[in-house]
Amino acid sequence: MEHLKELISRFSCAYVEDYKKIWIKAKLNSKDDLLDVAKALQTEGLRSLSTVSPTDFAEDGIMEINYFFEDLDTKRNLWLKVDLPRDEAVCEIESLTPLFASANWHEREAYSMFGVRFLHHPDLRDIIKSEDFRDKYPFRVDFDWDAHEKETVANVQQIVDAFKKEQSENEVDLESDSSETILNWGPTHPASGPIRLRVHCDGEEIISIDPDIGYVWRALEHLVTKKDFIGAIVAVERLCFMDNINSMVGYAMAVEEIAGVTITPFASWMRVLLGETARISSHFMGMGVFFNNMGLHTLAMWNMDTREFFLDFLESYSGARIATAAIEPGGVRYGLDMRMFDELQKALDKFDANIDEVEAIFVKNPTMRMRAAEVGRLSADEIHMFGLSGIVARASGVKTDIRIDEPYAAYDKLDLEYITQERGSARDRFVMIFEELKSSVAIIKKAKQHIEEAVANGEMNPTKDHMVKVPKKLPKGEAISRVEWARGEVLMHLVTQEKAKSPYRLKMRAPSFNHTMMLDYLLRGQTLSDIPLIFGSLYVCQGDLDR
Amino acid sequence: MSELFFNAFVFPGLLYVLIWTVGLFWFFRKFMAALHKRVGPSFNGKAGSYQTLFDLSKLLTKESITPDGVNPYLFSIMPLLAVIVAMLPSAFIPWMDSFVVIKSDYGLLALVVLIGIEPFLLFLTGFGSHNKYSFLGGIRILTQAISMETAFVLAALSPAILFSTLNLSAIVEQSSWFSFLVLFPGFILYFIALLGLLEQPPFNIPDAEQEIVFGFYTEYSGTNYFLLQVAMFAEFMAVFAGAVTLFLGAYKGIFFDSYLFFFLKMLSIALVMMTIRAATPRITLSQMLNFSWKYMVPLALLNIAWIFFAKSLWFMGA
Amino acid sequence: MLKILDFFDYAKSESLWMAHFCTGCCSLEMAAAMGPRYDWERYGYMPTPTPRQADVLMITGLVSKKILPALLRTYAQMPEPKYIVALGACSFDGGPYNDSLAVIKNPTEILPADVFIAGCPPKPEAIIEGLEAVKKKIKEGIPSAASQGGLWKEMEF
Repeated sequence: MEHLKELISRFSCAYVEDYKKIWIKAKLNSKDDLLDVAKALQTEGLRSLSTVSPTDFAEDGIMEINYFFEDLDTKRNLWLKVDLPRDEAVCEIESLTPLFASANWHEREAYSMFGVRFLHHPDLRDIIKSEDFRDKYPFRVDFDWDAHEKETVANVQQIVDAFKKEQSENEVDLESDSSETILNWGPTHPASGPIRLRVHCDGEEIISIDPDIGYVWRALEHLVTKKDFIGAIVAVERLCFMDNINSMVGYAMAVEEIAGVTITPFASWMRVLLGETARISSHFMGMGVFFNNMGLHTLAMWNMDTREFFLDFLESYSGARIATAAIEPGGVRYGLDMRMFDELQKALDKFDANIDEVEAIFVKNPTMRMRAAEVGRLSADEIHMFGLSGIVARASGVKTDIRIDEPYAAYDKLDLEYITQERGSARDRFVMIFEELKSSVAIIKKAKQHIEEAVANGEMNPTKDHMVKVPKKLPKGEAISRVEWARGEVLMHLVTQEKAKSPYRLKMRAPSFNHTMMLDYLLRGQTLSDIPLIFGSLYVCQGDLDR
Repeated sequence: MSELFFNAFVFPGLLYVLIWTVGLFWFFRKFMAALHKRVGPSFNGKAGSYQTLFDLSKLLTKESITPDGVNPYLFSIMPLLAVIVAMLPSAFIPWMDSFVVIKSDYGLLALVVLIGIEPFLLFLTGFGSHNKYSFLGGIRILTQAISMETAFVLAALSPAILFSTLNLSAIVEQSSWFSFLVLFPGFILYFIALLGLLEQPPFNIPDAEQEIVFGFYTEYSGTNYFLLQVAMFAEFMAVFAGAVTLFLGAYKGIFFDSYLFFFLKMLSIALVMMTIRAATPRITLSQMLNFSWKYMVPLALLNIAWIFFAKSLWFMGA
Repeated sequence: MLKILDFFDYAKSESLWMAHFCTGCCSLEMAAAMGPRYDWERYGYMPTPTPRQADVLMITGLVSKKILPALLRTYAQMPEPKYIVALGACSFDGGPYNDSLAVIKNPTEILPADVFIAGCPPKPEAIIEGLEAVKKKIKEGIPSAASQGGLWKEMEF
């Protein structure tokens, strides 16, 4: 850690300081140093770039770019800032994509939303935002959304025209006597969901894939700035409904850090309990989707059967099966009626009764092994290079789990161990989900027992301890928080202004973004049959892909 | 004349195929649902038994879309041809003792050829759909048919070699418990090839939903899709009936011989097929080709050798 | 003759197949409605892989600007008679994304829905109830809302 600090201090910095336990926060004085810093960091071992997050300070005329570098092995992280002039003509900086492959789409996103031009980026095109925003930068503070909204019909027409133009031109360059073609895999496709893959293929063989994303773009990062700090959780939890609790935990932690509030032990244990419940319900879907994409629906149905019982617990706690809005800054939203644990116990019993069958029939399925054991393999180096996280990283043997690396809620009181697989193939990722499912249930059991004991001892009061008051207006500040989401690392970067009632900027770094980036890399040279398999094994949710 | 009419439109012709389609479709859905821990169709009729009747009637009367850019004749005539060709083999099947519509000494050949033509018609449906996914589905079904039919024909020939006849009725008459045991390896090969021919998991590659939408079915709607569905179920019937006739002694049963046994045998094959469907994911096209040419075909040849051996040992006297 | 036609009309109302198209989060609850506990197949609903064989198009939640043309194309590809079910608050007025300007706030003005199902996301029971309402509508012989009007007829997609 000290070494890293020293390394940064060699460059001209406004400040270099410790932040949390495993972060260093630094600000570069000049953007010209960026490439040198990045090179030094890479040799130092910080090989992953988590995300690139611009913040638009319109009054100061500054576009502040935040880089989050991570080292998945030694857990040393760097939060690097650098200022750019805000003016569109000169708002440009060297691209880090040649050094950090993971920066690719993140820089494209920053370009699309804020108009920051990254010099020497190999493929600086618009991403996520729809065609009507071409040459407009919707997340800039001075962008006039209302004026844009008035033209809805014309905007949709623009999207249609662009699509038709693309469809009429995309095959013009192909040789007329070859069997090459371009397929639209999605959005009206049984396995795709709202995403479109432009599959350039020669018969069954894939030449390249260009994912077209943004079909469920809701501009959540902009939406939260229109809401107050409590209301924002509605947008944050809709990052992806499959595991909504943990994304709310991440946001709540960032707000609490700025407000300087510490939550009660009861609330932190409840966050563990609810978070793992949501993780389980997400993993059930993930496992089902993996097999669905190979044409076998039985596992999805069996999982759905058990999943309902976990949703029952969420429903009895919050009143909603999925959109729970159960976590808010300051703790958890509701007190706990201890009878609700009966529902949870039912779910756990159901789980225990079924899990062996699932393992015997599906996890050890020989046909699945034949299909998936060799395709989509990722080495540990590639995990670092592309900044992958969550089950995808652990399936390749990389020991990274934010619940252990940077414990939040009550995870530090649980003895967790890294669960990893070795070979990093599609099958390993599936087995990884399954193993993590089992470990999540073990965590729930521990958390449940702990809460029950503490309540019986009188250490916790389940009806009163759930909330600590968080002021409605927050001071000027900035915080990041990371949570281990069902799909990987979610990094929330929250910026507030003085006496703010609503977030000034909230960057949500979601794992599916990086994982979708891998599709082209993994699928080149494979056959069409592997698209759904690898797509399913990467555990992508379009919700957090587009945000 | 009236007998021909009866055969063509009632049994084993159109009406029989339609009832079979409705019934088997319902049975598939209900059985699949049970394996999924669900209930399946339940509220229309007793245990949802009208549901598939409604489904198919709806398809029959819904709008049939002919997309822009297709050859309308090829697009619309193919489903009809597919149904007719799929229904023809049942004319050669000895459904009951001394009930065969077309008595032929070459019944087995006719059966194999008619079953073999079907995939080519389905390829043409995909070819005529003017859709990339349909075309890919068509190519896939052709690839699969060619590689699976080799093993299929070789396996189907084993009873013919054993009993020295191509007449299906004669094969059934000569079959016994002992001949079933001798033909058992052939039956297993026939069954695996059957999965491939009928596009059932793990060989449901041509209409792989998650890969190429719905293969050659993608552009079909309404009446045309209804016809393709009927063709599919009629094909099921032809292939099941072939298996039952060739290996399982057709209508022969315990205590008495009846069509009932024929039906139960077909149903049990369907049952095994559905169970495999509920427990096996799809394999890829190249894996299928590997499997077919590296294992199925050599094994089928080996099986023929075994049949010759068994014949010289036990069946020469007969 | 009339009896036979009545039978076919009845069959149409009792067999609703869904186009496999998801625009938003509500598809998660749609999956739950297919699952063992709610099992919408009991009522005869079934998803189909292609819109060509579908009777009902579900607008599952939010409709972003980018997916709207795809939604309209999918609708146009379906054979008559076809019905539309709008799930969730988003498809009515944008719901929780009402403030977000990347989302179409009135998709059902463009493509009028026959049945709205409330909730965010609607519960599986509600989805099944909504589909039963579609059945009722077909039985009463009411033409689908989208065939009667809507902005989609004037739009190019």
